[in-house]
Amino acid sequence: MKKKYFAMLLAGIMTTSLFAGCAQKKQTADSRFNPIKTDLKVGMVTDAGTIDDKSFNQGTWEGIVGSGANSKYLKPTGTTEADYLKEIANLYDAGYRFIVTPGFKFETAIFQAQDKHADAKFVLIDGNPHSGDYNPVVKENTVAIFFAEHESGFLAGLAASLQLKEGDFGFIGGMEIPAVQKFNWGFQQGVNYANANLGTKISLKEENIVYQGSFDNVAAGQQLAAQMYDRGVKAIFTAAGGVGVGAITEAKERAAGGQEVWIIGVDVDQYSEGLDEATGKSIILTSAMKYIDQAAYDMIKAETEGNFPGGQTLMFDAKNNGIGIPAENPNLSAETVATTNEIFGKIKSGEIVVASENDGTLVK
Amino acid sequence: MNRKGLVSLIAVFLGLIAGAVFMLLTGHNPFIGFMFLFQGGTLTLERLGNTLATSTPLILTGLSVAFAFRTGLFNIGTPGQMLFGGFCATVVGLSSDLPSAVLVPLMVITGFLGGALFAAVPGILKAVFNVHEVVSSIMMNWIGYWIVYYTVKAYFTGNMETESRLLPNSATLRSPWLSNLFGGSYINLGLLVAILAVLIIAFILNQTTFGYELKSVGYNRHAAEYGGISVNKNIIFSMMIAGGLAGLAGVVQYAGNANNIQIGVMPTQGFDGIAVSLLGANTPIGSLLAALFFGLLYSGRGFMNAMTEIPPEIADTIIATIIYFAATSVLVERLLDKILKSRQATKKPLIDSAVQNTDNNNTNYGFMPPTEEEKENVPKGDE
Repeated sequence: MKKKYFAMLLAGIMTTSLFAGCAQKKQTADSRFNPIKTDLKVGMVTDAGTIDDKSFNQGTWEGIVGSGANSKYLKPTGTTEADYLKEIANLYDAGYRFIVTPGFKFETAIFQAQDKHADAKFVLIDGNPHSGDYNPVVKENTVAIFFAEHESGFLAGLAASLQLKEGDFGFIGGMEIPAVQKFNWGFQQGVNYANANLGTKISLKEENIVYQGSFDNVAAGQQLAAQMYDRGVKAIFTAAGGVGVGAITEAKERAAGGQEVWIIGVDVDQYSEGLDEATGKSIILTSAMKYIDQAAYDMIKAETEGNFPGGQTLMFDAKNNGIGIPAENPNLSAETVATTNEIFGKIKSGEIVVASENDGTLVK
Repeated sequence: MNRKGLVSLIAVFLGLIAGAVFMLLTGHNPFIGFMFLFQGGTLTLERLGNTLATSTPLILTGLSVAFAFRTGLFNIGTPGQMLFGGFCATVVGLSSDLPSAVLVPLMVITGFLGGALFAAVPGILKAVFNVHEVVSSIMMNWIGYWIVYYTVKAYFTGNMETESRLLPNSATLRSPWLSNLFGGSYINLGLLVAILAVLIIAFILNQTTFGYELKSVGYNRHAAEYGGISVNKNIIFSMMIAGGLAGLAGVVQYAGNANNIQIGVMPTQGFDGIAVSLLGANTPIGSLLAALFFGLLYSGRGFMNAMTEIPPEIADTIIATIIYFAATSVLVERLLDKILKSRQATKKPLIDSAVQNTDNNNTNYGFMPPTEEEKENVPKGDE
């Protein structure tokens, strides 16, 4: 009988220590960034989705953690302006006076917050604060940050075309919002550029360019990818959050079955997402990245150095290395990488201009 | 203090204990955690106002589920009804420029009708073909989701593809004096709509013949029919009123707490209504109080997060744990019953609760053939 109680006690202690283990897990600084010595308290409010979304929230958070500042993120209960303002106020009341918010959905909330909490600093990523009329009002304590997604999509489309030479490509978008559309349009221009100037034969059919309509429907992403692969598509560019995760799953299954299929990742380097443990190969050809983490880190650094660019709207593009494809691309040949880098240089110098709008020649 | 109230209070208490245990297990001080949780919802007038505003749609979805429960129906279609009701109100608000005093009441009525229309489908299917409302109402959620998705995107978007144009202030329930009274909170006239709805539903259920009929159908469908009550008519009306209440939740959410409707988001308040209703013992006043409690948890959570080292995911789990235990009031009820029984020699009747009722009733799920027991239970007189 005693033995039984002892065993139960032991089991209890073990479970408890398991939990304690999670609680004590400290934020480890990302090696990509040099920690800054500062006592600045940096807060973040997440957009819809979780902190490990492999995209927006995660990128922003990694940049914040990388800064080494005392940091915290809050997850709102909903996605309305009121929900966002509530969490911003919570951070403010808890002494966080530097608040980073990723996503255009924060636009009207930041518009109000920048007046309400005038002694706090705000960084709005992918959006401009406005009162609801879309006239940007960036106050002295706020910075609005945008990315040149079209340039990022262009490079990924170009690199993928160079690598695969010929065949069908596809695109799966989440919602039809500007950031996603720009990825799509840039991607098409990249493919067209390679076809016209570098001798590739890649086709992009209209039926293979689809906006799923959400960022979280994993099953639908898998279905869409399956349909495209069945139609003979070789590589799919996904700019769709969780929907893209479904597409990656489908590609992995097919690759394990011996089929040659690829996914082009988005926002962050998704190589490890597509990795098949058994073979050590990833189905991620390359990724169209935007360095959200870098943007968040830079803003914190600027603040600690006393030159926070308040009142400005910043553009992270090829010129300031705010976008690009990953430094390491195990699935691309050295030749492909070299040509892509060369063209990256041309975009930087302005020799090649990637349009951020659909001038009518592009699909959707 | 009546017995149902006592049961709910014990359930809340158990929920808080469970939350505290969870905080202890994850290495956090529950006293500090709870202090900030409650301060977050009440510390300033603004926070109090925000708590009330958060509760407002929950009062109405809770009321919706509770009302259907009383008629023996499980309305699990509240998210869809709420979305569709809110959508109808938004459409009216965006496409007419009547003066505020006419427009806002019109929007409230449209929202109610939209939700009612949406719930009428499962109601009719249940009454005519005996299709179980759980199946048919939950499926309606997705129909609503995609109707709203398509229509808003095609006709009502502004610069952003993911949400409708903003409603002008004259077409919302927002009221500057109420906001100012609560230190700039986003509290709005929706709260009055919710309280009014609670009072009306309480009156209907307790004071009218119609309410008596609805409850009779809930207690025992066959006995009610034998007593000359039209079961089918009551089922349809009950679903429609429940849907209308959920539709009102949509109005207060999308034209009060927010001033536009977002697409691709199923409102969480819909399913929360089930927990609110259960904790509120399926009564109107109970739903009101339970919704206030939920509102407090939801508004205080962020402050607890900000002030302590508890990560948001753990905070969510704590809140979910509290709700889980709070909503299992049936368990408390049975337990309380057992204790009372063992103390008293006299046998007490089983306490009524709609959830138990559905257990006792002939639960023909439409897609299942009746069991032997059910066949025996069917009264022979009216066949």
